[in-house]
Amino acid sequence: MMPSILALMPMLVIGFGALALMLAEVLTDAKTGLAVGTAVVLFTAAAFACAGWMVGPENLGDAAVFAPWLVFDRFTLFFEVLLALSGALAALVAGGYLREHGIDRGEFYAILSFSTLGAMMLAAAGDVLMLFVGLETMSIGAYALAGFRRGSPKSAEGALKYFLLGSFAAALMMFGFALLYGATGHTDLAGLHNALASESLRSPSIVIALALVLAGLAFKVSAVPFHMWTPDAYEGAPTPATAFMAASVKAGGFAVLLRVLLTVFGDERSASWATGWPPVVALLAVLTMTVANLVAGRQESIKRMLAYSSIAHAGYLLVGVVAAIRAPAQAQSAVLFYLATYSVSTIGAFAALVLCGSRGAEVVSYEDLAGLGRRHPAVALPFAFFILSLAGMPPMAGFFGKWFVFKAAMDAGLHGLTVIAFINSVIAAYYYLKVFVFLYMREPAAGAPIAKPMWSGEVVTAIALCAFFVLLLGLAPGAVLDAALAVGGAG
Amino acid sequence: MPALESLFPRDEFGLLGLIIALPLLGAIVNGIWGRRLGRSAVSAMALTVMGLAFALSLVTVCHLHSLFTESLHGGGGAGHGERVRLAWTAWEWFHTTGGRSGANIPIDLKFSVDQLSGIMMLVITGIGFLIHLYSTAYMAEDASYARFFAYLNLFITAMLVLVLGDNLVVLFIGWEGVGLCSYLLIGFWFGKAENAAAGRKAFLANRIGDFGLLIGMFLLAQYTGALDWDGIARNAHLLLSPSPAARVHVWPVGGGIYQGMWAFLQPANVVTISGATAVSLALFLGCTGKSAQLPLYVWLPDAMAGPTPVSALIHAATMVTAGVYLVCRLSFVFVLSPFTMTVIAVVGALTALFAATIALVQNDVKKVLAYSTVSQLGFMFLGVGVGAFTAGFFHVFTHAFFKACLFLGAGSVIHSMHAHIHDDAASQDMRNMGGLRKYMPVTFATFAISTLAIIGTPFTSGFFSKDEILFKAFTNHVVHPMKDKFAQRGLGVWEQPTWVGPALYVVGVLAATMTAFYMCRALYLTFFGDFKGWAIGEPSAAKTHADHDHADHGHGHGGPAPAPHESPWQMTLPLVVLAFGALFGGWLNAAPLHIEPLGHWLDPVFAQAVSQGVQIVGGEEHAHHLVWPLAAGGVAAFAIGSAIAYWMYIASNGAPAKALAERNKKLHQLALEKWRVDEFYGVAVVGVAEATAETCAAIDHGIVDGLFAKATSSVVAAAGFVLRALHTGIFHAYSAAMVVGLAGFGWFFIAPHAEASVNQAGGSYAIHAAPGMGYSFRWDADGDGKFDSERFGPTRDLSVSVEPGKTKQVRLEVKNAFGLTGSTTITLGTEAKKGAAVVGLR
Repeated sequence: MMPSILALMPMLVIGFGALALMLAEVLTDAKTGLAVGTAVVLFTAAAFACAGWMVGPENLGDAAVFAPWLVFDRFTLFFEVLLALSGALAALVAGGYLREHGIDRGEFYAILSFSTLGAMMLAAAGDVLMLFVGLETMSIGAYALAGFRRGSPKSAEGALKYFLLGSFAAALMMFGFALLYGATGHTDLAGLHNALASESLRSPSIVIALALVLAGLAFKVSAVPFHMWTPDAYEGAPTPATAFMAASVKAGGFAVLLRVLLTVFGDERSASWATGWPPVVALLAVLTMTVANLVAGRQESIKRMLAYSSIAHAGYLLVGVVAAIRAPAQAQSAVLFYLATYSVSTIGAFAALVLCGSRGAEVVSYEDLAGLGRRHPAVALPFAFFILSLAGMPPMAGFFGKWFVFKAAMDAGLHGLTVIAFINSVIAAYYYLKVFVFLYMREPAAGAPIAKPMWSGEVVTAIALCAFFVLLLGLAPGAVLDAALAVGGAG
Repeated sequence: MPALESLFPRDEFGLLGLIIALPLLGAIVNGIWGRRLGRSAVSAMALTVMGLAFALSLVTVCHLHSLFTESLHGGGGAGHGERVRLAWTAWEWFHTTGGRSGANIPIDLKFSVDQLSGIMMLVITGIGFLIHLYSTAYMAEDASYARFFAYLNLFITAMLVLVLGDNLVVLFIGWEGVGLCSYLLIGFWFGKAENAAAGRKAFLANRIGDFGLLIGMFLLAQYTGALDWDGIARNAHLLLSPSPAARVHVWPVGGGIYQGMWAFLQPANVVTISGATAVSLALFLGCTGKSAQLPLYVWLPDAMAGPTPVSALIHAATMVTAGVYLVCRLSFVFVLSPFTMTVIAVVGALTALFAATIALVQNDVKKVLAYSTVSQLGFMFLGVGVGAFTAGFFHVFTHAFFKACLFLGAGSVIHSMHAHIHDDAASQDMRNMGGLRKYMPVTFATFAISTLAIIGTPFTSGFFSKDEILFKAFTNHVVHPMKDKFAQRGLGVWEQPTWVGPALYVVGVLAATMTAFYMCRALYLTFFGDFKGWAIGEPSAAKTHADHDHADHGHGHGGPAPAPHESPWQMTLPLVVLAFGALFGGWLNAAPLHIEPLGHWLDPVFAQAVSQGVQIVGGEEHAHHLVWPLAAGGVAAFAIGSAIAYWMYIASNGAPAKALAERNKKLHQLALEKWRVDEFYGVAVVGVAEATAETCAAIDHGIVDGLFAKATSSVVAAAGFVLRALHTGIFHAYSAAMVVGLAGFGWFFIAPHAEASVNQAGGSYAIHAAPGMGYSFRWDADGDGKFDSERFGPTRDLSVSVEPGKTKQVRLEVKNAFGLTGSTTITLGTEAKKGAAVVGLR
């Protein structure tokens, strides 16, 4: 029995940990410890996932008892580690941010933990029902986090839009799965795959289901044109929640996207290059990268810029997803590696952004950053550092993320798509470097409001951890890359 | 050394990491806290790390030597040791795939030291230490003292990375690192515009070379599937693959076929070169940049704008020899292409001659030394180009001593001249010097010894190394390693004409004669005759030293000033040590006398290359008889050159030189202006680039800004208007976008897509229709316009054969799950491709 418990441990730790955090919030007045407590819970979960990885999913024998509801393979374990770490880092950022901005209400951490749990369930889901439960657990938490600044109309507006559109997308996806069930009689992903692979199945409802599911997935990873909620929700949400949505929610979205597209719709006909989803996703990738990068360059708000930047990164990831249908093992591991590099870079960037401002003197626009590099070099440096990683400069993590995805796409013969992705990453350099111009080469206009940095041990810890991971993935990507490769075709 | 062996096993030789980390530590500490630490702490830090690095390098090389001796006695070989190697992996960085077999190429941050890099390491740390010591006095008055030492330490780090890197990527990191440090140090006094411009020029010229190095690196990865030295050596034979697919198609570019309106460009014979030639030419382009060879040498003379110790360390002793090091390191690749080897030798010889002609007439002592460096680097390339890797590398070694000594000596002179002549150009002008022998005895003695060495005075270091190069240029012959095998298969190979060797020898002797002349000229002008800088005497009370520090920047002073003084011991000690090396270093490889410890030490490194492709014209026996006759040429060059200089500048006190310059005024002026190469580049390269840039700017301004930008902005404005109209219900716009997206999906999935891929094998074609959910197919295989079957079926594959010269049309119609149909027509036919013969340089 032990091994199967080990498989469940990450989720159990987070579930019970989140309950304990709720209790602690009610029973004690000490709010300061909650962020660290959440981080500890999530780090513990990550440690259990790592332990599961070392034991090896094939040795988790009895884990089959959860099948077909939950699948514990290396794919799941990889995402469990990634999601737990991202959640923990976001919680640490929240620890400093919420206190500074006077919205230090304890439920933030419980919601964040439950939402992480939902994302993990999403990654582990082996059945459509489980998938939906995970999706909603993750999403409802994210809606709540987005609207956490109750006093701010912007926050409420962003959260409401996110919620309404999210429900719309979830409904589309559910409708799609319902059609699939109607056509095949299956709700488990493996069974669906087998049914779809059989030559005799010719129902048009499957094609419609594919379109509906694809739309729902595209919403979750905020691909153009299903992205329009993103800037509003990201801008309105408290910054740590934005970081969480940009990293964890996006990772959860890609987990389910990979699982559904490569498993359920991985058969020859659904994944046909003439008639199936690959050309559609390729077009989504092109649109997502191009539109997001062009629009990002026109933003005046840093948070909106980062929101569009996260959309653009989803575009690069979609390139990897398309490549994955031709070269499954290599391209899928490139996507996983990219997610890891992107998550730590983007959380780091948001954490550094938090550190750059304080209550009443936050960083909203580029102008607020003017001269920060000279006034507070210690605060400006980490922000510049993570921006470089997002831009994909060596030796940061972002460089290798792009390198492997682009290389996988080249190897899969997607030359045109790679060239477009490459041109896009050059365009992106424009708005990333704009941050440098303001940090180091501009002085604030006379009388203009300037950002005043805050101090928080939690945020600094989060930044230090992110910086460590960014350098680790950039200078010694071997270990994580091997892990991503070990996931192989398991998706 | 068993203790060392147990502490640092061969593959985990962590000492290398320490040797690299020490200068880096110095750079970081001096760079960040240097200003606060004060000068004495900065010097202590810089000297300590350099001294320790040198000591550890010595330990490493001693260890290497003991391993080498072991292999010499234990291996059972006939007096030839093995290549011994100590390696250390800092960490495994990442890996990529490459090569025709898709081999896994690990890119690790790995360092290794063998006989070749061991010598380089000793030179870098040893001479580096001496120059650091020298700089503590030379730079003592400089405001940016800490910055200087931070850069200098960083340079040593980068240079060590370059020579110790175990693969091309690490070498490239070091290669770029030294380029950066060189840029920073050339423009060290960036307040003056021409110094900053010199730094930029060096950077740009090197950039062109680096492009070649990068291309070479990519090609190597593609051909050999490896980037580390051992892996490249193992797979080097793949570079010679004779199959057309494995060769680099020079014309038509990339192996295409020009058709249609471009058909006239299609040559009767396709021009191809072997992978080895492509790789080695690309790498050699990198070498010409870094090592200042024709045509990229122009940056090095300007680089003398940097502080003189920098000229000695970077632009004479170490960095500029990186190109020679690279050729030696990859000797087994270069030797596969006799064509490239000939190019290297010819470029080297021409550079040696060309730079020497400029050095003949320069008046700035540093310019003379700079062109002399370019010329000596040419000698080194001449050596390695004829396959005499040991000789070429030996010249790197001896040159490091005598040229560093010469530069530091010149620095010492400039230092004392600078006390009273504050204009940079004037304080370096030899016409203001003279007679310094009396005032600066140590500087004079060491400068004279080094001059004797560089001009090849018998039994000094320069004699042995230069003589060996000239000898090998005459006797060596690089041949294609697969010549016989290719001949059996009827494939021709490029061969070096036999007259090339003697011609190289003649050019070399001519350049050596000039070297003797211009170096003696510099020695005489500087140290002999009468002092011309300023009137020597006790300064009058009204004109104390402090007064003219700022006021007087002309050629010396109106009133008398104290005599030039000898430099402090921190500057003279390095001079003495280097002069010692310049005088006696040659005995490490006195080939004509059969004293060749360095040759034996390096033999294993070059064994693969030499055994593959280097032959001796007329056999070893014949060459043996030529040793002394050919050496006589070198000695004659020394004697004639120095005798003319003596006659012109000592015996006749410069009169013949003036007369000669008067008689050939135009020629003299042209040589003085360095044959106006800079001006030529200014027109031919910079001018063209600027004209292109301006054309582009005009297009950008007129068409892009005018047309595209305005059009785009009006579209954006229109979109903004539409969005404003939707403003009240922006949420609806969001969901509308989603619906549009979904509709797009639906449109794509519902529309029928008839697509097929075709595989050709001879006259038969296999057609494969793209599958689709709910799709069924019907074919018209015989091209009669009617479908073979009225019913749609599951058949997706079709085989069709077409007779040669005819075409056939096949139609495919699909019906999808929604009952919609679509069709496509495929035209099949054998196109007779023009059979193009393949010839070229194999």
